[in-house]
Amino acid sequence: MTPQNILLIPKIERGFVIDHIVAGLGIPVMALIGRRPELGDAVVTLGLNYKSTRMGRKDMIKLQADALPERLLQMLALVSPGVTIKRIANFEVVEKVVIQVPELFDNLARCINPNCITNGEPHVATRFKRLESGSKHFKCGHCERVCSLAELAGHLKA
Amino acid sequence: MKKDLISIDDLGLEQILDYLDLAARVEALPAEKKAGLLPGKILATLFFEPSTRTRLSFESAMCRLGGRVIGFSEAANSSTAKGESFSDTIRTVEQYADVIAVRHPKEGTARLAAEIAGIPILNAGDGANQHPTQTLLDLYTLRKFFGRVDGLKIALVGDLKYSRTIHSLCRALLAFDGVAMTLISPESLRLPGYLTKAAAGTTATFRESESLVDALRDSDVVYMTRIQKERFPDLVEYEKVKDCYRLEAKMLAGAPARLKVLHPLPRVNEISPDVDATPHAGYFEQARNGVIMRQALILDLLDARP
Ligand SMILES: [Zn+2]
Repeated sequence: MTPQNILLIPKIERGFVIDHIVAGLGIPVMALIGRRPELGDAVVTLGLNYKSTRMGRKDMIKLQADALPERLLQMLALVSPGVTIKRIANFEVVEKVVIQVPELFDNLARCINPNCITNGEPHVATRFKRLESGSKHFKCGHCERVCSLAELAGHLKA
Repeated sequence: MKKDLISIDDLGLEQILDYLDLAARVEALPAEKKAGLLPGKILATLFFEPSTRTRLSFESAMCRLGGRVIGFSEAANSSTAKGESFSDTIRTVEQYADVIAVRHPKEGTARLAAEIAGIPILNAGDGANQHPTQTLLDLYTLRKFFGRVDGLKIALVGDLKYSRTIHSLCRALLAFDGVAMTLISPESLRLPGYLTKAAAGTTATFRESESLVDALRDSDVVYMTRIQKERFPDLVEYEKVKDCYRLEAKMLAGAPARLKVLHPLPRVNEISPDVDATPHAGYFEQARNGVIMRQALILDLLDARP
């Protein structure tokens, strides 16, 4: 570890590291964390533009928290799929999970079609089903409009 | 579990064929027999936007099965105008009826209605999205005229970009074997690329043609649609193309005897009235088939298949 790394994003004793965030998505991911009241007391550090052999550049976030809310993990799959979540205990990585794009987003985003009934009646839970395995496109369970992952990420619900 | 009909995409080929068979069985029943199939049952037609033809077709279908009909045909006259949510309207009306046909200007409404209601929902058109009973009646019409859908040569004419009827029919035709579609439309109203791309890996083919008359010579079916003036940002452009996509009796002179002209109706200028008297006119029979197909669907959804 270089002295620069230590200075900018210190090791944590206990908590989570969200690693391999595509450079530029660190701030949107921070915004997701900021929206979770369960994490209101957590100490969070954000690192941007780290050199990465695999990704060229990457962002990274460390959270000192006991648990990550389920809804945050679901939203991460929408905003920044491919990130690695590392659970840290006693300064060591004890568990590592890569967040994958799921087959279904359950009430995480609004439909991009302004004429979709789910936008007319906002209490209705939305769902978006993956077109096929491996696809980055999803079909609205109501109006059947096909949206990309990026479009849905721009229409997150609370 | 209750059944609904929301999207043609929910149906596999097997289920589509089953509906076509059921419609044929329903058509073959004597009128008195049909009139005794659904005594005491009520169909609610909830038309949040006007579509007189579709509504009357549903209502005729139900009445001829011995059932009754309630409903409204414009949101302005209904409780929606007083601010009631769509969800509440559905929850209320399901207390009054055994099956609901719903048409709404917003996409996804029929699906939402099906999630909310404990009784069957028929989608009678949700915005630009789906109108599955139209597609099924079109397929039924093709099979009645030709005895099959497989291998038909079908020319699709007019506004191929925005016509929900055309999009839905195209998608359904891809499931059949070797349907050859000829696309005839103004440059600015071509069929969306995702539909032509969807043909890859199927036995269907698409080709574009400039000339309606040429297509008439080599087709089994000409499916006409209306070109709406509002679709053209430049009215000069509209004036230039509108007559290229208008069918007249004299153009049918070189057409094969089997050729049938279809149209979802109402027509405006795109089919000259002089076509009506030719043996090629198929659109009024198509409208009749709409009642039969809707009868089949209502009977299926109410678990009352003959
Ligand atoms: Zn939608």
